[in-house]
Amino acid sequence: MQEPVKGTVTPLASLFPPEEAQKASKRVQDALADRQSELDLLQGFIADNTALVNLVQRLPDELHHDIMVPFGKAAFFPGRLVHTNEFLVLLGEGYYAERTSKQTVEILNRRGNALESQVDSLKAMMKDLKAEVSFFDATAAEAVEGLVEIREDYVEESSSERVIERGPPKPDSPRFSGEDSMKVAAEDEEYARMMLRFDELEKEELAAGSGDEHDEDEHNEADVDHSLSQLSGDHVLGSLEERQVRKPLHHSKDEYATTEELLSKKHFEEDFANQLKLEGLKEQSVPKDSDDVSHGKSFANRATQSSSHGKDNIQALPTSKAETSVQSSKPATDSLKAFTGSIVEHTRNIQMNPREQAASSSQSSGSQPTKPVSRFKMQRR
Amino acid sequence: MDGLIQQKVQRFEEFVDRRLKPDLVHAIAERDKVFEQQEVFSNLRRNIENLEKNSVTSLQTMVNLGSEVYMQAEVPDTQRIFVDIGLGFHVEFTWSEALKYISIKEESLANQIQEYTRLIASIKAQIKIVCEGIRELLQLPAER
Repeated sequence: MQEPVKGTVTPLASLFPPEEAQKASKRVQDALADRQSELDLLQGFIADNTALVNLVQRLPDELHHDIMVPFGKAAFFPGRLVHTNEFLVLLGEGYYAERTSKQTVEILNRRGNALESQVDSLKAMMKDLKAEVSFFDATAAEAVEGLVEIREDYVEESSSERVIERGPPKPDSPRFSGEDSMKVAAEDEEYARMMLRFDELEKEELAAGSGDEHDEDEHNEADVDHSLSQLSGDHVLGSLEERQVRKPLHHSKDEYATTEELLSKKHFEEDFANQLKLEGLKEQSVPKDSDDVSHGKSFANRATQSSSHGKDNIQALPTSKAETSVQSSKPATDSLKAFTGSIVEHTRNIQMNPREQAASSSQSSGSQPTKPVSRFKMQRR
Repeated sequence: MDGLIQQKVQRFEEFVDRRLKPDLVHAIAERDKVFEQQEVFSNLRRNIENLEKNSVTSLQTMVNLGSEVYMQAEVPDTQRIFVDIGLGFHVEFTWSEALKYISIKEESLANQIQEYTRLIASIKAQIKIVCEGIRELLQLPAER
């Protein structure tokens, strides 16, 4: 980080005092115990219901059943059950229905389903409560350890596009926003560096002249790029979450992650715009979108480019991209995922990024309306 | 001096709250149970007397199979009745025998209720004594 940023350091214990966290945890545990007893009650009802279903099914087997008929609470008469297929079922609110055995079984099954759904909702509530308990415990433990929350102001740079704040719905978010701002500042510098490199490579491409056909290379490149981006994306997700959990912040890791992010989520369009720019030097027109539509198209671009275009661009591109990728997002390149979609789009309708236009003015052929978003991009989105 | 007094007062209060009051609650609950049983038996007696009065020989009734699902039942001969005498036993009685048994049972139940009432009264008295003691310690005017 080059610029000094203002920040505050607050010990987590002051925000979430450990005793209170423990008290809260205990309260939630009590609520949990209540729910547990309700759950047991409901499960008892369900068991009774099933037993009754069995009984109702077996009763019509005989014409009469000899039973002891209760007479009040403390006396019985010996007697018989007659009309064994007729059941009087209470529907609630003083309404009864006289039904046969099969119909009664159906009614009881419906009652059982209602009970089951109640049990499920209760279980879901209990799960939430358990999550709360574990959160409180974790917070209490962290506060006891003396975890510190660091907040820093976000410094916006004019030239970069600020992409998504992944606002996690956790109480960790204040920590996260601080990290985010630091990250972005670092990202922008990284990005500027990458741009410079791309520019240099582009010049090399121009000097190199036309190249061969390498359909496979195209696809590989598409694969690699896609996989890189996706992996960086995934990895960024993973690393972001990691960072939320890990206590001290590491600048180096931030920059690392920032470049990953840079490559993947935030600056997809720039990446592909760069690559396209290189390709476009040999093509007629490669106008690109400034938004994410472009990378879908650029994929399509490269996927469908055939022999006549400069393949050396593409060759150089993977190397350059591989260089930068390797340097800046090693974790992403460790496991390559195959690009399993198929994209067939035409190259004509992509608009150039304003930034790129400055660099490759020879190729602009006017902006054109964007095509519908590719399936690949929608997947990624 | 004051500290000692405070301590004593606190101990008395705790005694009342932790032992005497729960005991009282417990005793009252037991007595209520006996009341219920008494009610059951008096109902039974009334029913049997009704049956006898109307010379009912057979009976049709609805039996609860569980969860309020009823089925018709027929009692062809009401002369014999099985009464619960406690500890899971049921004794076969004729009507007159049953009535005799029920009256004896009701007497014993009444005795039990008296016992519980006496116990409850004694617990209440103890609570009052302790409260008076606390008042003396605090030298507050005795309430009459």
